[in-house]
Amino acid sequence: MEVLKEKVEEEEAAEREEAAERAERAKMEKMMRPGEPRRDESFMTQEMLRDLEKKVSEIVIPSVEEPLILTQDLIDTSNLPPSYKSNSTKEEHLLQVADNYSHQYSHLCPDRVPLFLYPLNECNVPKFVSTTIRPTLMPYPELYNWDTCAQFVSDFLTMVLLPDPLKPPSHLYSSTTVLRYQKGNSFDFSMLLCSMLIGAGYDAYCVNGYGSQDLCHMDLSREVCPLTMKPKEIIKSEEKQPPKKYAIKPPRDLNSKFEQDQELKKQLQLKAEEEKRRREEEEKLLEEEKEKPDPLHGLRVHCWVLVLSGKREVPESFFIDPLTGRSYPTQDDHFLGIESLWNHRNYWINMQDCWNCCKDLIFDLGDPVKWEYMLPGPEKHRLALSEEDDETLNDEDDVEDLEKEDEEKSFDMPSSWVMQIQISPEAFETRCPNGKKVIQYKKAQVEKWAPYLNNNGLMCRLTTYQDLECTKILEIKEWYQNREDMLELKHMNKTTGLCIDYFKPGHPQALRVHSYKSMQPEMDRVMEFYESARVDGLIKREETPKTMTEYYTGRSDFLSYRHINFGPRVKKPTQCTAESNPRPIVKITECFHRNPEKSADEDVAERVFLINEERIQLRYHCREDHITTSKREFLRRTEVDSKGNKVIMTPDMCISFEVEPMEHTKKLLYQYETMMQLKAAEKVSRHQAWESELEVLEILKLREEEDEEHALTISIYDTKRNEKSREYREAMERVLHEEHLRQVETQLDYLAPFLAQLPPGEKLTRWQAIRLKDECLSDFKQRLIDKANLIQARFEKETQELQKKQQWYQENQVTLTPEDEDLYLSYCSQAMFRIRILEQRLNRHKELAPLKYLALEEKLYKDPRLMDLVKVYA
Amino acid sequence: MSRMYDLMEPKVIDDDMLKLAVMEQGPQEEAGQLAKQEGILFKDVLSLQLDFQNILRIDNLWQFENLQKLQLNNNIIERIEGLENLIHLIWLDLSFNNIETIEGLDTLVNLEDLSLFNNRISRIDSLDSLVKLQVLSLGNNQISNLMNLIYLRRFKCLRTLSLSGNPITEAEEYKMFIHAYLPDLVYLDFRRIDEQVKELAKIKHQFSIDELKHRENVMELRAEEEKAKKDMLEEHKLAFIEYLNGSFLFDSMYADDTEGNKLSYLPGVNELLEVYKDKFVIICLNIFEYGLKQQEKRKIELDTFNECMLEAIHENQEQGKFKIAKFEEKHMLNLSAIREETDLPTIEKKIVECSEDINELFNVLMTLEMQLVEQLEETINIFERNIIDLVGIFIENVQGLMAQCRDLENHHHEKLLEISINTLEKILKGELDEDLPDSVRALFVDKDTIVNAVGASHDIHLLKIDNREDELVTGINTWCTHLVDKIHRDEITRNRKRVKEINQYTDHMQSELDNLEFGDIID
Repeated sequence: MEVLKEKVEEEEAAEREEAAERAERAKMEKMMRPGEPRRDESFMTQEMLRDLEKKVSEIVIPSVEEPLILTQDLIDTSNLPPSYKSNSTKEEHLLQVADNYSHQYSHLCPDRVPLFLYPLNECNVPKFVSTTIRPTLMPYPELYNWDTCAQFVSDFLTMVLLPDPLKPPSHLYSSTTVLRYQKGNSFDFSMLLCSMLIGAGYDAYCVNGYGSQDLCHMDLSREVCPLTMKPKEIIKSEEKQPPKKYAIKPPRDLNSKFEQDQELKKQLQLKAEEEKRRREEEEKLLEEEKEKPDPLHGLRVHCWVLVLSGKREVPESFFIDPLTGRSYPTQDDHFLGIESLWNHRNYWINMQDCWNCCKDLIFDLGDPVKWEYMLPGPEKHRLALSEEDDETLNDEDDVEDLEKEDEEKSFDMPSSWVMQIQISPEAFETRCPNGKKVIQYKKAQVEKWAPYLNNNGLMCRLTTYQDLECTKILEIKEWYQNREDMLELKHMNKTTGLCIDYFKPGHPQALRVHSYKSMQPEMDRVMEFYESARVDGLIKREETPKTMTEYYTGRSDFLSYRHINFGPRVKKPTQCTAESNPRPIVKITECFHRNPEKSADEDVAERVFLINEERIQLRYHCREDHITTSKREFLRRTEVDSKGNKVIMTPDMCISFEVEPMEHTKKLLYQYETMMQLKAAEKVSRHQAWESELEVLEILKLREEEDEEHALTISIYDTKRNEKSREYREAMERVLHEEHLRQVETQLDYLAPFLAQLPPGEKLTRWQAIRLKDECLSDFKQRLIDKANLIQARFEKETQELQKKQQWYQENQVTLTPEDEDLYLSYCSQAMFRIRILEQRLNRHKELAPLKYLALEEKLYKDPRLMDLVKVYA
Repeated sequence: MSRMYDLMEPKVIDDDMLKLAVMEQGPQEEAGQLAKQEGILFKDVLSLQLDFQNILRIDNLWQFENLQKLQLNNNIIERIEGLENLIHLIWLDLSFNNIETIEGLDTLVNLEDLSLFNNRISRIDSLDSLVKLQVLSLGNNQISNLMNLIYLRRFKCLRTLSLSGNPITEAEEYKMFIHAYLPDLVYLDFRRIDEQVKELAKIKHQFSIDELKHRENVMELRAEEEKAKKDMLEEHKLAFIEYLNGSFLFDSMYADDTEGNKLSYLPGVNELLEVYKDKFVIICLNIFEYGLKQQEKRKIELDTFNECMLEAIHENQEQGKFKIAKFEEKHMLNLSAIREETDLPTIEKKIVECSEDINELFNVLMTLEMQLVEQLEETINIFERNIIDLVGIFIENVQGLMAQCRDLENHHHEKLLEISINTLEKILKGELDEDLPDSVRALFVDKDTIVNAVGASHDIHLLKIDNREDELVTGINTWCTHLVDKIHRDEITRNRKRVKEINQYTDHMQSELDNLEFGDIID
């Protein structure tokens, strides 16, 4: 409290003197800091230009190493609004307050670096940092949450290093400028992100402090890529239900407890050893990865964003590094210290010790001991803990509070000088400058592209490496978007050569996952399907060179599984393709789910067709309270008895075991009928197997085609890319335009040239009106006649020419070459055509001319300017 | 319409006719040869056709237990009879006969398609049990009453109806009437019903239909209520406290008690009775609620027990299945190895190995089963103890409450006696003001008479209470013994079944192996 009071008093005193001192101080400052002159003038003076030149030369020198730097001469300041080029009186006042604050601070803490309070903006005007924040709520829903918003900022801007890594920049540009050039240092990043977060309702602050080298250089090569991190499996805490009252007791355990203990001990020992070895290895690895010690550790200036808990359901305060868009807990090792922080309302200096990085900092901005504020604004940041012994001072405090509140009004932070932040939808979609961004992580590299930039729809590629130097590729993951074949993700494992394609719903063959090593048929592959999109309810088809396994669900025949064994292909002299020469099927195994409508003894669970052995094995479902299942085996070999008659059915052709023997199944008739059905079923199954093979071929062919073609789909709502809709829209526009032209034409004033001859501003007399009308009509008549004459003249000319040519032809007919003759003939036909057309036009003109004349007359009669006068006359 | 008797001798359904029909309509070609070899049992026949046989009487069909389709059309049948056993019948064709009344179809609950075309039926009736009926053909009959069709409303599945050729079809509004009253019908007289016409008919008969519907609804509601009441009573009976949730017991005490009723005319007795009744009913209600609670407890106990038993058995089954599956896998391999082996000594060795395997499987399965039996036995014993305890507590508490009833009765008795003696004294002294009915006055002749009367009333009351108590106690005890018996019995049956199953399986395996051996030796 003491400190606070003192400070307030000081402030008040300072303020009183301020007005008088102002001019003097300004001069002093100019002398003290010639490099950063304060400018109140809104126009450029000669002196300013010189300064500017000087500054530019200062900045350009380090930019030799860093060609990306955004220097001031690149910025076009001519179109910026006046608020950028000058300070309002309120801002002036604020600058004075800030100056005073800074003086007091340097007086109180002489060993700390000067504050970052009012850097120059792009027009070389000092602007207070809080007013540079322009809280804006962006119209994109994606920018409403902090994580996506931070990701956007980090993607959208290109990072430029600070000119001096040990000092805050001398210039701080407005967010609009930064957005226009898509470049900036960590301060620019933070200001933009902070503006957007505050606009979205977060309690966000820009922090000026010190960061690690990796942080300042946006170096993620020692970080694990977030894309490679597997989502933590939620460990299901299986709640062991208390044993029920009548749960049976387990049988007595007759194993030796001692032996078990010994075994357990041995295993534990082994495990411990292994653990130790692993840990050692890990340590070794960590050692390798460890960064080189940074000589400037703890001195590198960095700017990031702090989000305090409370608003927008943020449970805990955290940092966001705007360069990478990642969030960190406030205890993170990368953040080494905080000088000050600010939002659009106020500015705070950190009065806490940062010997242990930011780990011990308490972000209670209402605590004046820990955080020295600049404006005693109407913040809610009151001291969190109200101490008991303060009570005696309460009355005084109240009085002070009142006074303070009075002051607050005059101390309100002026509104931002920055224009509203705007991001065009195109820029928003393109995101990264030029639509491409590459980030290097530890053992991984991420490349990002804007949608539709790559013509195969590639959006993102993650390459994982085996070693730190990124030479041996481990696996590649590629994310796609807007593809016509619905390919979403391609996962290539370089070590095993396994490729896995993931598809979104909507593939023509309802493919969901396709994992394969080669696109050749009859190799190891697994295809998974969206079973609801398939008529046959196929979920998965696994293939090896010799087998094919299919899994089904939700079928009306309760089939759940089919396994096919293939034998070696029979060699054929002709060309052997999988289509023309299918592999012989050796065995088909089919499993069925329980059909609740049948009794268990009649419901087949497994059906095996041994095709070479001509045997069919059936296994039935197990009854509810049984442990054995009925079985039946049929020999479908047809035999001939001694008399040469075909044996239809003998008891030894069917071997069966029944759990509960039934009468009717013993009958030969029943067995015969069952076998007939099975024979038919076998045929169907073989056909199915063949069809499955064909389908695989078809899918492979389709996939190859799709990969070559890689067509992209365009949403019907995407008006810019959708050709059809664009054509339609353009057509609509054209129609509108034509309509407009027509309207203009109808409004053409026939009288205008004649009215212009008359003295302006006078009312027409009747005589004048009549004359006007007559003149107009006669003029029109003349025009019609002229036109007729013109057509006539052309007609005559053409005819004459034709006659001439004909004459010439008749004279020279004998000597002409065939080519010339052809030429002549074609000329004749063309000329005839022209003449005919001219004739038609003339006739048409003759027909229409009187009509047109009458129409004009009528129109003139109805003309409001002439109507009254002419009517009387008429 | 119907053929005359004298044209042809009526035939009787006899064995030969049936056999012939079955043979003719049974399987053909190769299957037919097999069928001939083996013969076909009547109970395996699903469909039978006996048309144009001049049959007069349906008879001898009881063997066709599983018959689903029966055609008896174009005969001279006069009565529907002898079909009671054919409960699986779905399709019955009795068209072109001489049937006059619908009868004898009450057991055919699965019937979906019934044809009585061209008969002499004048009234649709006796079809109540045919709830699945979908197609009903009643054309060319004598049905003349339009209102008779309302009877068909009860068949919720009926979609096709034919009535053409009946006198009612001549009525003007015949079609409209049917459309309106049978709105679920799709086909009438071989034609699809037009939706529009249906709508029209509905509007036309709106009023009467609404009334009918209302009546049906009321009936339905009443039936439901009755059913709910019955269910409730059933539940109470399960708890052995039926009719204790009111003054039923009290009323029954006074129902047969003439003296008691007479004595209630005495001054002051009415009030006494009122108080007595209130207290008595409260105790009854206590018993009732306690009984319900106990019933709930018993139910939970039983449910938990059953669940645990099931779980244990299920787990055991799974283990058994797993063991068998493992064995079968190995066994199959062994068998095929034996088949391929040519060396006789090795074959024998392998066969011995196999039979050892089978033996081992048998032992494993039996051990599992014995283990389960032991475990279950223990659990059942625990449950038995618990349930007997529960019942004991219940009986004890109910007896306590009943004792309260008796106390109340004794108390009431004393009071009544006192009043009676007072009244007697008053009467003897001639001081009584009120008028008493003569029958009551007759009791007050001397002290013995009145004391006897009051005593008799008291005895009746006590008897009723005792009876009720006995009923309850016997009921619950019987239930308990039955339950425990049943559990033991079920467990024994289960065990027998399982042992039999295991034996059967291993026997089969062994015999298969022996067969193989035998076959090999021949080879």
